[in-house]
Amino acid sequence: MVGSITLEQNATAAASCMAAINDRFDGSGIETSVPSHSNDKKYAFVRIVCPPQHWIALSKWMKYDLGVNYCSMVTGTHFPEGSPERGWEVVYHFLRQPVQDQKPNTCTVHNVEALSGMDVPMEFEVLIPLPQGDSPTVPSIQSIWVGADWNEKETWDLVGIKFEGHVNMHRVLNPNDSPEGFHPLQKQHKLRYHDHNEMYDDPQGFMRKPADEGRIK
Amino acid sequence: MAQMWITMGPQHPMTHGLWTLRVKVDGETVVDTEAELGYIHRGVEKICEARDFTQITPYCDRLCYVSAMTWANSYIYAAEDLLEADVPARAEYIRLISAEIQRLASHLMWLGAFGPDIGNLTLMTWCMRDREMFLDLLQELGGSRMHYNYPRIGGVKRDMPIGFADRVIAKTKLFEKRLDEYEMMLDESTIWLVRLQGVGYANAESMVDAGVSGPNVRAAGVNYDVRWAHPYSVYDEIDWEPSVEKPTSVKGADCYDRYRVRMEEMRQSCRMVLDALNKIPGGKNTNYANGDEMIYTKAPTRAPEGATGFSNYECTRGASQFYVQGGGEGRGKNPYRVSIRSPMFITIPYVAKTMIGYKIADIPAIMGSFDPCIGETDR
Repeated sequence: MVGSITLEQNATAAASCMAAINDRFDGSGIETSVPSHSNDKKYAFVRIVCPPQHWIALSKWMKYDLGVNYCSMVTGTHFPEGSPERGWEVVYHFLRQPVQDQKPNTCTVHNVEALSGMDVPMEFEVLIPLPQGDSPTVPSIQSIWVGADWNEKETWDLVGIKFEGHVNMHRVLNPNDSPEGFHPLQKQHKLRYHDHNEMYDDPQGFMRKPADEGRIK
Repeated sequence: MAQMWITMGPQHPMTHGLWTLRVKVDGETVVDTEAELGYIHRGVEKICEARDFTQITPYCDRLCYVSAMTWANSYIYAAEDLLEADVPARAEYIRLISAEIQRLASHLMWLGAFGPDIGNLTLMTWCMRDREMFLDLLQELGGSRMHYNYPRIGGVKRDMPIGFADRVIAKTKLFEKRLDEYEMMLDESTIWLVRLQGVGYANAESMVDAGVSGPNVRAAGVNYDVRWAHPYSVYDEIDWEPSVEKPTSVKGADCYDRYRVRMEEMRQSCRMVLDALNKIPGGKNTNYANGDEMIYTKAPTRAPEGATGFSNYECTRGASQFYVQGGGEGRGKNPYRVSIRSPMFITIPYVAKTMIGYKIADIPAIMGSFDPCIGETDR
């Protein structure tokens, strides 16, 4: 039986990561917390709220001093009705994985119960709030994690977040000839349904189909 | 000789779906590549914003048509994180069993598609024969052959039918013997070995840096697995070990290692399913009614203000992740934003670059060994 990371290992690692970040970036406006997931096992993770101007410094430090070697996803969100300083938000998810290159004909089989310190897998969530406006911009971390490359391309393509310093930015999921400035996950683009404009308030379209009027559902 | 760009795809057997690989060649040697994706982009993330939390599950099934159960489960764990739902232990066991049966079916589909890439058509027919056994099992649970809509936020749709456990045991035990037959056919075939060994090297650290995950990294010699690193479900109570290979070169795993690691993973899935059936609370031959508290707990339908949900799930091709933002009262039962991280979307551009330096004839072997699935890639 392989065993798995225990809640104690997880809590210790999360607390030490948070302490290390607070120690290094004290007074810069970077806020950290250790919330727990509310699904089955209630594992803790590190949540960081970072202003965009400190993002490059923080990301380099996370990669080279905290051992965060895996950039797993980048999410952009549009809040047109949000506060002036949070009209957009970019959320990064990172993982720390105990993975090293192997010598020929060897493999690493981790003794999970004995993992400690930097070897404990950990999940990081970095939130970067961006002000309202037409051109949300955040520095690119393409040169720090290769895995961020296509994630950033996708986030620009779908949400329209500009990644400053990203080399070779292009459409990945939308057609190459999509109109400039068209980013479908921005909230001004509504879903259309049977010629009715949008279906946010009425997902099933019950109130909008004339044929259904007066019928009992 | 002059270098030139040639286009493989979107209609090419190598793609295992619909995408374009542009290859710059010097004679027969690949000197540069570019991947072009997006041919079957359906806008699932946008559609999800206009659906209830419960209505999203069928869309997640369709993200990967080969591995629907694992993708639906992946979404369900994120939704449960967001909505703070409790899940009965029996439901977690059933989810584990269904996900591992799906992993068997998915890996068989991969092997069946990989065989013809290498020139072994027998493999396709054998794999389809065995995959049918597992699709039948999943059909008993979900009612459909490929898209099940089976897990629910807070449990599962229905309990295992009477006799299901016996059929699972019979089929997995038969399949364990069949796996030996596969290995007899493949590991002693000169063509198979020559086409796979020493081709498509990728080492562990570069793969992790590039965002590759799952069996492809385990083939490079590290037993990192989401199922023990960020445990969900009941994998900590089940008897299993992550499959891991010993790559023969400093350059990391070759195509043969990636084939071996998936064969071993199928053995582990059989082991997990059999062990889970022994340990399932309530007994394996019991059938609880729909909505019984043993298999389903009613979950809240509206997300708390400002809450988010995240799941990290070991899908058949690597770590699939969902990030769901609820919108509080204003959004009703709908999420504000659903973000999907597909392992293959990150892996395909990486694999395209690992082909540089090999011959054109090696491209199908390298691409196939990473198990691409375009449904999840393009979303």
